[in-house]
Amino acid sequence: MAAIGAYLSGILGLALRILLMQTSFPKWLQTRNEVVTPVTAWDRVEEGFSLQKEFVSPYSGDLLHETPLALRFLKTAYYVPFGVKGFFIMIDFFTMMLLYKIAALFKDSLIREQNIEKKKYSSKAEKLVLTPEEVSFLPTLILTVHAVNPFSIMTLLAMSTASLSNLVTLAALYYFLKGNQLMCTLFLAVSTYQTFYPVIFIVPAALQFYLLKEKEVNYKYESSKSYWSKEAITSYLQTVGLFLFFVTFLLGISYLYLEGSLDFIYSTYGFVLTVPDLTPNVGVFWYFFTEMFDHFRTFFVCVFQLNAVIYTVPLTVKLAKTPFFLLYILLFLTSIFKSYPSYADAALYTSLLPLWRHTFSYFRNSLFVGGMYICCMVLAPILYHLWIFAGSANANFYFAITLTYSTAQIFLVTDLLFAYLRRDYDLYNGTEHKNVDGTKAAIVLE
Amino acid sequence: MNNTGKWNSLYRVITPSSHFRKLFRDSLLNESFTMAAYCCMNVKSFLLSLILLFTPSSAVGRDEFTEELMIKPLSGGFVYSHFQFTTKWNASIHDSKTFTHFHLFPKSLGEVLKQYGVQELHLSQTQGLWRHKLWGYPVHDAPPGAELWVWFKPSVKDVNSAWTDLVNAVSGLFCSSLNFLDSKSTVIPRRNFQPLGVTSGPVPRYSVRYGALPKEIVCTENLTPWKKLLPCDSKAGLSTLFNAFLFHDANYHSLGLHIRPVCADESCTEEAIELTQSLSVVTDVISTSLIGSPNWQLKSLFGNHLASYCPLATKSLIMVDITSNKNDTLFKLTPEPSITHTVFRGQQEHSYATYDVRSMLQSGRAINVGLTYSNNQKLIEATPPPIHAHRFITGHGLEDGGVSCLISNTMPTNQTISYMDVLPWFTRVKFSSLQVTNNGVNVPYKTFYLPAKDRVRPHQLELTFTLWAKSVTKVHFTFTRAFLKWTEYPPDAHHGFHIGAASITANIPSSLEYTAPGQTSSQLSSIFTKKPSDDNPRFFLRIHTETLLVSLPTPDFSMPYNVICLTCTVVAIAFGSIHNLTTRRFIQLDPLKKKGLLSKLKALVAKLRGGQPETKPTSETQQDSVSDKKTEDLVDEGEERS
Repeated sequence: MAAIGAYLSGILGLALRILLMQTSFPKWLQTRNEVVTPVTAWDRVEEGFSLQKEFVSPYSGDLLHETPLALRFLKTAYYVPFGVKGFFIMIDFFTMMLLYKIAALFKDSLIREQNIEKKKYSSKAEKLVLTPEEVSFLPTLILTVHAVNPFSIMTLLAMSTASLSNLVTLAALYYFLKGNQLMCTLFLAVSTYQTFYPVIFIVPAALQFYLLKEKEVNYKYESSKSYWSKEAITSYLQTVGLFLFFVTFLLGISYLYLEGSLDFIYSTYGFVLTVPDLTPNVGVFWYFFTEMFDHFRTFFVCVFQLNAVIYTVPLTVKLAKTPFFLLYILLFLTSIFKSYPSYADAALYTSLLPLWRHTFSYFRNSLFVGGMYICCMVLAPILYHLWIFAGSANANFYFAITLTYSTAQIFLVTDLLFAYLRRDYDLYNGTEHKNVDGTKAAIVLE
Repeated sequence: MNNTGKWNSLYRVITPSSHFRKLFRDSLLNESFTMAAYCCMNVKSFLLSLILLFTPSSAVGRDEFTEELMIKPLSGGFVYSHFQFTTKWNASIHDSKTFTHFHLFPKSLGEVLKQYGVQELHLSQTQGLWRHKLWGYPVHDAPPGAELWVWFKPSVKDVNSAWTDLVNAVSGLFCSSLNFLDSKSTVIPRRNFQPLGVTSGPVPRYSVRYGALPKEIVCTENLTPWKKLLPCDSKAGLSTLFNAFLFHDANYHSLGLHIRPVCADESCTEEAIELTQSLSVVTDVISTSLIGSPNWQLKSLFGNHLASYCPLATKSLIMVDITSNKNDTLFKLTPEPSITHTVFRGQQEHSYATYDVRSMLQSGRAINVGLTYSNNQKLIEATPPPIHAHRFITGHGLEDGGVSCLISNTMPTNQTISYMDVLPWFTRVKFSSLQVTNNGVNVPYKTFYLPAKDRVRPHQLELTFTLWAKSVTKVHFTFTRAFLKWTEYPPDAHHGFHIGAASITANIPSSLEYTAPGQTSSQLSSIFTKKPSDDNPRFFLRIHTETLLVSLPTPDFSMPYNVICLTCTVVAIAFGSIHNLTTRRFIQLDPLKKKGLLSKLKALVAKLRGGQPETKPTSETQQDSVSDKKTEDLVDEGEERS
């Protein structure tokens, strides 16, 4: 039954995309700053191809910021049936498959981990305990959400190369859940090679593979070993070592592919890290650095880049037991705070969001956040038009919208984090909180 | 250019061990140089060079100065006046001892040339746009604004730093803003801008620099230092006609300065340095004259008649181009010219009425050359020159745009041209969109393209393609406008940014509307002397198109503080929330035990009223716990769920 639903939503999703591809909508989307960034624009990839045809290094200019291997891979797009469009539809098909498999793996691991922990749960938390039936529809749900997710539809139609990096990230997530250390680190390395920020995902990965190993040894989830035991550190080093090996390997291949040129390092990672292109996007960087005083620029670039990754530390401490949730929150946060974010990043985290459906009842302001998202998506193109084409508004209008969008995302991620932690608390302490005298107690952060 | 290569190899075969390896790099050498010249470089020249080597280097007295004024009546009542002052100094620019003694050659300039190892220097400072379609070709074509291109000697190792120093020196010398020619507006042309003078052996391709400042405004402050380089300043000679007020009131005026090594004589055994200073003015005679008449005299053009000649000049000439005056029916010149030259340049006949200033003044008359039309309603008609171009911006809005250049070929033959376009980095050119079409058909082209680097170097596009006979070829490409930092905008940000002119280089077979002298000598009077190679000559042509103005999207300049505050606030929301959630843990709390500020106040008020403080009415407590939310960071709301 569930399988039929999944097939149906998958087919519907693909049909919807193929249908929309025939309209003029993709052409418009390709110019939208919210959907494509200088890093992911397809026309910049085409520019790279035409430069290569003239025997000019595509990295000699400042138009292309794709990695060499991705550029080489994207060339195959022309040989796929139905050309570039067919290529991107194919990528989306693989994305759907991976999402389905991730959800299937996730639901199993959710029940498995619950069963291990169950005896520690409060007796008053019966209502919160998930049954296999409750989560059985998760894969279909994820697929359905992806099929109608406006973010992923727009990403696909605009032929953003972020679809490709999203696919790689999903593959990493899949092997992460599957417990395949080699493949997971490989895909994380590819993902890092592509967009740099996934480098922090190695932290949850290292934890995950340590915990899995521990589980195998002890047959119990409750490990007596600390996170700093010798075994733990060996395991971390193993994961990180594999990851570093793959990254070096990829960089080495690129170096050889470009016949001994390291130009691409500056054009790709240098570009992402130093933020020289101030084209508007949905992130917090562009207007901030447009209006920044020159002598503070370096300082604030460092601060903002650090801000994108610094959350790894507190979150790891807090969520060490649940590396997958940690990974998801980090994925969400980098999508907000990376230097060139777009709807493609939102597509990834929104498609995966229903995985945490069991925490949704603890959300505090979902209506508010939902409204903010819708407002931003509608107003962003309008205000951009008023600024750039009509000349009747100025940059502040568009800036306000991108700021609102960032705020909405921040509310959503903190809400999710809160809901997760709050549910966790209830699991161990019961859902009803009474004072000694029988009155209702409040649960606060201390 | 292929032509040059062929000559080059041929020449090497003929004189493999010759001491002087000089040849004209440009393919104009048909006109300028003959086979005979190459063959003559033999033992004799070798001996001569040996003699020169042992002669104490004395440059004094070996230079020759000429002053010339060419006036060409144009269509629509416009008049083109071209002053040209040529100093030819029989000394080698490559000899370090050359620049120790100066005679007529300006010392300030010579020192700059020596210091930075300059081999060739071409500077133009122009106000206004030369309209090729109506006015034909000027002697030295120049784009609006300032343009400087320099060939450094092959011995200069660090060309970039030499260029940086040179532009600063030149900018000081001519009171211009050439010091703004940094790496962002400088390119190394690969196919265009070959040396115009003689070169000894092959020149390294990277020794050339080209830079243009389309926004540069040219005014009297540039004219004054420029004319100070003349041997007679503006005290005597043709330069007494310089009237800054009238020049800057004109439709077009251009100051030029060209230095190049040339052959000292026909056989080219010795090198000379040629300094050409030119001043071109196009005056709209009809609208400047009080009665709307197209007739002019020196006095109406320059505010004065000519009463002196420069005693240091070997030749002082005024030439009037009367090619358009077929059978003397259109206009009449006063006074009668000393001599009228009629020369064939290629297939076209050119006539020049010449006045020898020196002899005329010696006979005691002040010169006031004038032109009177026989019929004020019947003026010269515009003849479109063989090649002319029109360049413009396409598109709307501040996001994308395009550049189109329409190049017309009015000749009945195909013509190969070189096109060079330099665009600033903030117009991000899409090379993939480049198209060269003729009447909708794609034209094959060869290209050199160097994409820009943000804030480092501009886009450089060089194309070579063939213009088909009697047709218009269109070069088109698109670009995306970059978003700059607020400090990168000029004070008048909404005015837009200037983009330099594109240049088109060709060797055309027709001399229609062509005014420049041949390659061997810059003296205008050299047009009159016919050379053996003149039977089937090609004329070196470089024209510049219009400069462009693009608007870029602007931020709000008034609110850097607001933006910094707002963005930081949003980041702080994320940081604060995550900090809270990760560093603290949930605890169960009796809302009554730990009272918030509001409930404390309420209790106080109740106390003041004299009543007993309410202990626990359930409804009130609920309310309190809600209002406590402000002071307690995060209070559970999920509670209500169950």
